[in-house]
Amino acid sequence: MNNLLFLASACLAGGPVHDAEAHRVAVVAKIRPAVVAVFANGGQGGGSGVLIDADGFALTNFHVVQGVGSTMKCGLADGILYDAVLVGLDRVGDVALIKLLPKEKGKPFPFVPLGDSDLVKAGDWSLAMGNPFLVATDFTPTVTFGMVSGVNRYQYPAGTLLEYTDCIQIDTSINPGNSGGPLFNTQGELIGINGRGSFEKRGRVNSGVGYAISINQIKNFLGHLYAGIDTDHATLGATVRTVEADDDPTPKVVVQSIIDDCDAARRGLQIDDELVGFAGRPVTTVNQYKNVLGIYPKGWRLPLVYRRDNQKQEILVRLQALLRKSEMEQPERPRPGRPPAPQRKVERSAEALKLYKAKPGYANYYFNEQARERVWRAFMKHGDFSGLTGTWLIEGDLVRKGQKTPFKVEIGEKMGKSVVSIDLGGVIFALDPLKENPDVRELHDPPESGGLLMALYHTHRLLVLGPKGFEGGFDHGGVEPYYPAGPTSRRDSEVLTSEHAAVKAKWYFDKGAYALIGAEVSLGQDEDPCELTFGDYKPIDGRMVPHSIDVRSGDSLFGILNVRKYQMTSK
Amino acid sequence: MNSTLRYCLGWAVLITSAAPVSAQDRYDAAVQKVNARLVKVFGSGGFRGVVAYGTGIVVSPDGYVLTAAGSLLDTQELRVHLSDGRRCLAKVVVIEPALDAAIIKIEMVEDLPFFDIDAAAGRTPAEAGTWVIAMSNAFEIATRGEPMSVQRGVIAARTKLPLQRGIYEAPYAGEVYVLDAITNNPGSAGGAITTRTGELLGMIGKEMRNALADTWINYAVPVQAQVEVRDGSTVRQINLAEFVRQAMKGEYKPTAKPDKMKGEGAYHGIVLVPNVVERTPPYIEDVRPGSPAAKAGLRPDDLIVYVDGVPISNIAAFKAAMSTTGPGQVVRLEVRRGEKLETVEVKLEERPGK
Repeated sequence: MNNLLFLASACLAGGPVHDAEAHRVAVVAKIRPAVVAVFANGGQGGGSGVLIDADGFALTNFHVVQGVGSTMKCGLADGILYDAVLVGLDRVGDVALIKLLPKEKGKPFPFVPLGDSDLVKAGDWSLAMGNPFLVATDFTPTVTFGMVSGVNRYQYPAGTLLEYTDCIQIDTSINPGNSGGPLFNTQGELIGINGRGSFEKRGRVNSGVGYAISINQIKNFLGHLYAGIDTDHATLGATVRTVEADDDPTPKVVVQSIIDDCDAARRGLQIDDELVGFAGRPVTTVNQYKNVLGIYPKGWRLPLVYRRDNQKQEILVRLQALLRKSEMEQPERPRPGRPPAPQRKVERSAEALKLYKAKPGYANYYFNEQARERVWRAFMKHGDFSGLTGTWLIEGDLVRKGQKTPFKVEIGEKMGKSVVSIDLGGVIFALDPLKENPDVRELHDPPESGGLLMALYHTHRLLVLGPKGFEGGFDHGGVEPYYPAGPTSRRDSEVLTSEHAAVKAKWYFDKGAYALIGAEVSLGQDEDPCELTFGDYKPIDGRMVPHSIDVRSGDSLFGILNVRKYQMTSK
Repeated sequence: MNSTLRYCLGWAVLITSAAPVSAQDRYDAAVQKVNARLVKVFGSGGFRGVVAYGTGIVVSPDGYVLTAAGSLLDTQELRVHLSDGRRCLAKVVVIEPALDAAIIKIEMVEDLPFFDIDAAAGRTPAEAGTWVIAMSNAFEIATRGEPMSVQRGVIAARTKLPLQRGIYEAPYAGEVYVLDAITNNPGSAGGAITTRTGELLGMIGKEMRNALADTWINYAVPVQAQVEVRDGSTVRQINLAEFVRQAMKGEYKPTAKPDKMKGEGAYHGIVLVPNVVERTPPYIEDVRPGSPAAKAGLRPDDLIVYVDGVPISNIAAFKAAMSTTGPGQVVRLEVRRGEKLETVEVKLEERPGK
């Protein structure tokens, strides 16, 4: 009897199988309200998705929304069909961000937390959810359970786009309709977006080999997606190959070719240099290299370590755009072997269409305007310079190559013309930034600064005129890392991009505080911009103003402007 | 109350007899252990759906590898990628069609992590319901040092392949673990099935399709599976472990050349009707005088229904069934003659003129 009692109590305690099952059931119950069934308007085709915040933003696959257009319908496990609008696109990475519209204004949506897919290992358990074969007409998601079969997988592009890099391979059953749906770890954290399988003889159904885009790749693009951007992936501007020596069975990855005017070449990378590390990860195979390169948006700067003559070098390289403009602007490409879907007139939600604005280069420009306004308003809390349209005088010392030189900057107008000048210990450089047929040397003055005068002119314009000072565009550029002091000083920043008088600039705002921490002002596409890093912010008349400005161009620090005095006047 | 207690007892027994699988358990250590003992095999193929890649199980520190027999090995340029990223040349040592297995040897390696296949064969075979890990280079997802794909599955049955010729295009006739996971994909053959602690259970077989139902069977050959191999008129039993042991000593003699396996088998003297459509029923058109078939009393217009108890639906299936026979073997045929089913035993002979 004693024995029986003991067994009975062991049973009440649950036992590992029971515990694990109970845990899994609880996790599924917690995450299923956030799983989305995505339908095209008119109900043809669809896929899955997952809500990642209370405002109704959800991730899905590009190939699910491709051809659907700017609005769609989304069902949740509550059985309600919601209107949704396209927000951001990552065509190469096969990711799209959409936004569901609440039935009651301001009512929060259920959502799931983002996990860390770098912690996922082969042999881990995973849960896939979604709407395979569009089986659930009441939108209740299907859940499948399985194992992570591999991580850091590289899958060649299907067609010209849709390259799956650094993805998670699963034996968790995913089928047509699961596309865009979430892959969870056993804690219910989102670790990937399911989107692809290895199919061969068995037809387009689960073959035991499915792939999910890692959530950490998506995190790199998320700032761009929220800003409504039609994002692009990147190339280094170089190709690499594997080299095998007869006496060493371990291969090396070396630069095979490199474009002359790409950033990597300007940073010193040459043919036959051996790649050692990229973005903090080791590179020993071409697949590893592609896995690293494939998870970042164009324009990001990343540290790259290479070896030449047994000397290791670390450089920060700017990634180049991958797609040509024509590829980006091709909204739909017919898929081989499949006739184009018949054009049927579909009813689109007026509410959703209010949140949509078309513009080339953007998936939905409405959300870019929203994001830009949000950043700009947050930045304005540090100080409103809009009344200070008069002449600005900035005085202090330039520390350059160990030497201190007094400087005096003047930004203003003379005889109806904009003029920027800097007096460096008696040597005066001046620029009329709007002069027609400008002197190339003048544009880049002072020498070796990469165009400090032009950069100061644009910074002044940003502060005083704000968005309306940039007739060529003033947009949100997504999220990028900024490096105030070299490869180890990465700070993720929200970027605003501007263009005025054919000069483009990128403005980096600290995520969270929205202080302006840096700027890149480019005089041409294929040359190094002048970089300003703003620090030592102190209040002047209630406005926060930087009292230290690092000036860089290319690989070298031109100098540090230590500001003693600002004189900012209104007209 | 009574029923609750019984239920609880059931759980307690389960917990002691086989530790259950919990969702919190981690398998990365077992996965790494198995992965280190597998190689990616690259050989001939790459056309008409025949893949040029496969998987192999390292069975000795000096580079002997157990893998699946197949056209992949039909090359002078056989290469393997080790789990540490090294790329090495390999040579075929011996191929045994009856086991659908081969031994290859990686050149110039030492101290490799390996599976002790003798120890594995010494353990009791796993029973249906056992939770297993499957690892292979399915779809050539991994190259170099990239880890193989890992899947989890449950042994659905330990059984003999239901060699229904013409239905299952089975490359192997013997005991298998039938798996509930989709383990047998292109390139998977030669991969490993292990316990969840990474103990070797068997070798993953080739892709196998049921032509009638258009469904696929996933199976692995247990290391202990005794397979009947025929050498001339003698029949002996062998398993993968014994095959590996003899092959590594250079003593293993393969039973038959692969091409002979696809031959006509021993002489029976039956002439079937012309095979005009895919599913022509195996009607006997003629019986050679004095042949084994004539001695057994077979007649024209008999319809062959069973060979050794296995249903035969068409001419191709009959030919396939006879292709692996040897002289001296007795084959039991059941034929429909008029409205009756007749059973005859045919003692096969050496082909005349050979």
